[in-house]
Amino acid sequence: MKETEHLKRLSTVRSNGGIKFLSPAAFPGSHCPMHTALVLTRSIRGLSSLVVGMPECATYSRFVIPRAEGKQGELHRMYVVDSEEVVFGCRAGLSEAVRRMAGAGARHLMLIATCIPELIGEDLEGMLREIRGQVPARLTFVFMGHFKCNSHPQGYWKTFAALGGFMEARKRDPQRVNVLGQGPGKDPLPPPALLDVLERKGFHLRFLGLGTSLEDFLEAPDAALNLVLSPLTEPLAVLMETAFGIPQVGLHNVYGIDAIDRAYDSIAEKLESPWDDAFREERQRALRWQERLAAKLNGLCGVFGPLGTLMPVPLAVYLAGFGFRPLLLHMEEFYPADSGYAQELNALGFDPPVCHMVNFRRDLALVEAMAADLWLGQMPGKGKIPSLPGIPGLSAQFGYERICRLGELMLNVPDRRPDRQPGQKEN
Amino acid sequence: MGLHRFRPPPSGRMGTLCTLGSIRGAVLLEFGCMGHILYSRVALSRAGIGEACKFYSTHIDEIDITFGSTERLRRAITDIVQYEKPRLIFLSPSAVPEVIGTDLPALCRELQREYPETRLLPFGCGGFNVGFHQGLGETLLLLVKNLPVDRGIAEPPAFNLIGSCADLFRFRADAGELIRIMDGAFGMKPLCVLTSDTATAQIEQMGGGRINIVIRREGEAAAEYLRDRFGTPCLSLRPYGIKATVQWIRRIGEITGIAPDEDFIAAQVREAETLSAPCEATLSHLLRERPDALKLSLGGHADIVKGIMAFGCGELLFPRGLCWCDDPEMAGEDLPYFSEDQWTRALEEQKGGLLMASGEALAWAGRNREMQISNPGPRWQVNPYQPPFVGFRGALHLLDLWINEVTENSSL
Repeated sequence: MKETEHLKRLSTVRSNGGIKFLSPAAFPGSHCPMHTALVLTRSIRGLSSLVVGMPECATYSRFVIPRAEGKQGELHRMYVVDSEEVVFGCRAGLSEAVRRMAGAGARHLMLIATCIPELIGEDLEGMLREIRGQVPARLTFVFMGHFKCNSHPQGYWKTFAALGGFMEARKRDPQRVNVLGQGPGKDPLPPPALLDVLERKGFHLRFLGLGTSLEDFLEAPDAALNLVLSPLTEPLAVLMETAFGIPQVGLHNVYGIDAIDRAYDSIAEKLESPWDDAFREERQRALRWQERLAAKLNGLCGVFGPLGTLMPVPLAVYLAGFGFRPLLLHMEEFYPADSGYAQELNALGFDPPVCHMVNFRRDLALVEAMAADLWLGQMPGKGKIPSLPGIPGLSAQFGYERICRLGELMLNVPDRRPDRQPGQKEN
Repeated sequence: MGLHRFRPPPSGRMGTLCTLGSIRGAVLLEFGCMGHILYSRVALSRAGIGEACKFYSTHIDEIDITFGSTERLRRAITDIVQYEKPRLIFLSPSAVPEVIGTDLPALCRELQREYPETRLLPFGCGGFNVGFHQGLGETLLLLVKNLPVDRGIAEPPAFNLIGSCADLFRFRADAGELIRIMDGAFGMKPLCVLTSDTATAQIEQMGGGRINIVIRREGEAAAEYLRDRFGTPCLSLRPYGIKATVQWIRRIGEITGIAPDEDFIAAQVREAETLSAPCEATLSHLLRERPDALKLSLGGHADIVKGIMAFGCGELLFPRGLCWCDDPEMAGEDLPYFSEDQWTRALEEQKGGLLMASGEALAWAGRNREMQISNPGPRWQVNPYQPPFVGFRGALHLLDLWINEVTENSSL
């Protein structure tokens, strides 16, 4: 199609730079990573913040963190870079600002540097190393230049990883498991079977996600295992494995009964605690749903729209295994693991174009010309293609339950019209 | 610049977006990262500007920056022209293109040849070293320099209102009151309310105004340009209080040569005086016995602070308290500029009296948030039907706020 000629095929994409906009004028576009860095920072009790950038960044940061002081004494401030500092650097002024915040009571401080400090190459690492011993506060930083990416996930995963900078080695607790990517608090869904079984076997779960206290992050290196439920926390898990030797098992991209079996076996092995058939019923149910999925999806084709934190490529690999042809993938972020999943998808004979959708009205019109059988995700506006708005919600589930839920969602998929071949355009 | 606890002074770019954001039927394309424009749209929507000017962004990445590529801009313009078919596209740079030295006006001249049906109008102020009010003023000037077409004076007589922009607290209410007064006193309707209630077609007709009423000093350059080009006289004044509003009407009458409707003026004065009469005894008593309770402290845009000060301290004889403006370029002998360090210190030292300032300052000081007269503030302002501060109804609104504030804070 002419309208998608400018897009790269998945096999040729190596980074976010390879993901082109489907239509060129963003309306409304995507949030910058500063937004999600602030959302995460605000939610962590005990963590102070300092936004470094232009007046716009400082002003708009107040939409996310409206108060200068948090409920537990956190300090949230902004450092605005002036025209001289853009040329000569802001090290002196910023160091002084950090000193003032430490003097005012900030004990753990996250510096969030936006586009201009990153563009001019401000050496935050060097600056913090210089003043670390001089202030009564622990310091870390993230660069959140929007020009480094298309969207906001980096705000989450880089900030989670930066929190690792506060961690120190602790005595291992063999009964402690960190759940990375899910915050504490009540979840409206029934607890996932895996977590329920772990608790019944006497394991203590520590949830590290939005809303976790800083104290819990600091204590996290005592765990025997990190369960990773989101790609946004995978870099933190990698850091904790490297720094503290805490093994990790990722469940956020695991599809298929066999793969889930292997992941669960890995968990049991690492925790030295066999399951004793604890998941037999869930596994059986998932197997039946998987069989129905295979029958339903064979020969269909679809577009992967925005899926929230769910990575589209691993899902595409799973569905492609049943003969579901991916026509186009919207990718919010190209994660390092995506290269491997891309190869798996290619091995199945598929190499779809990838894009970032930034103008839903225009993009919907373009996508409808592709004559897909299905749109995975929330359809922006009214479109002709049947959609599955519940797909992004799969990120809240994992393991066998995810397969069951996926199967339930796919029940709503209309069968391919017998008079139309896959990919055939509407008249 | 430096460390801020509260929202810092906004940039010139924010002034440009604030001015253009309310123009109906317009399209703006920013060359820069998407996040800026998305947040600008959020900010304007919370200030009560719905879908007026459509804000687009090109986004920009490392490759564009490294190679100085502007290909995204060309493709975005092509797409917008093809599908929106606008007559006019405003173009602005964000901070990143400003830092790397992108010459947007030159680009526009190059690209204009490819899009003869669509005018490309670049604006500057990428947020580098230009303040908000300067950006706003330059944008108003650029609009009147580029859009109005040659035309004669409109009949029946009409006027333009210059400077009603979304950064001012209750900007639509104030504009609405002035429009109401102009209609009642002179039978005049606005040709253009620049820019809170206008469309590009209306800006084009500004040359037909009998008078340009400027309600903030940033609009004076635009009014002077219109005077030089069309001979349109102007009046730069925000009327606060009953007497000042009557004087404002009379001055407009002198400038335009149109006699105001005396019955309308009399009725408005009568109504305002009747409704405010019950306050007089209490206010007089306080002025005699406890003048500190009426000490009037004001912080915000210099024109608004001076206007309310003239009413409260000039007309009603309230003692003057702490008064400051929010832009160092507007400071003068009689009205200093306060940075956040200065106003927080000053508010800590001065308790009591009547404090009217930004919502943010009032919230921090633990004072009555109904006394807000300027932005920023924590609250959304989506309702355009709030009472104004200018004009006859503004006088009543101010009196209502003051009398309630003093009676709630005292043992009266």
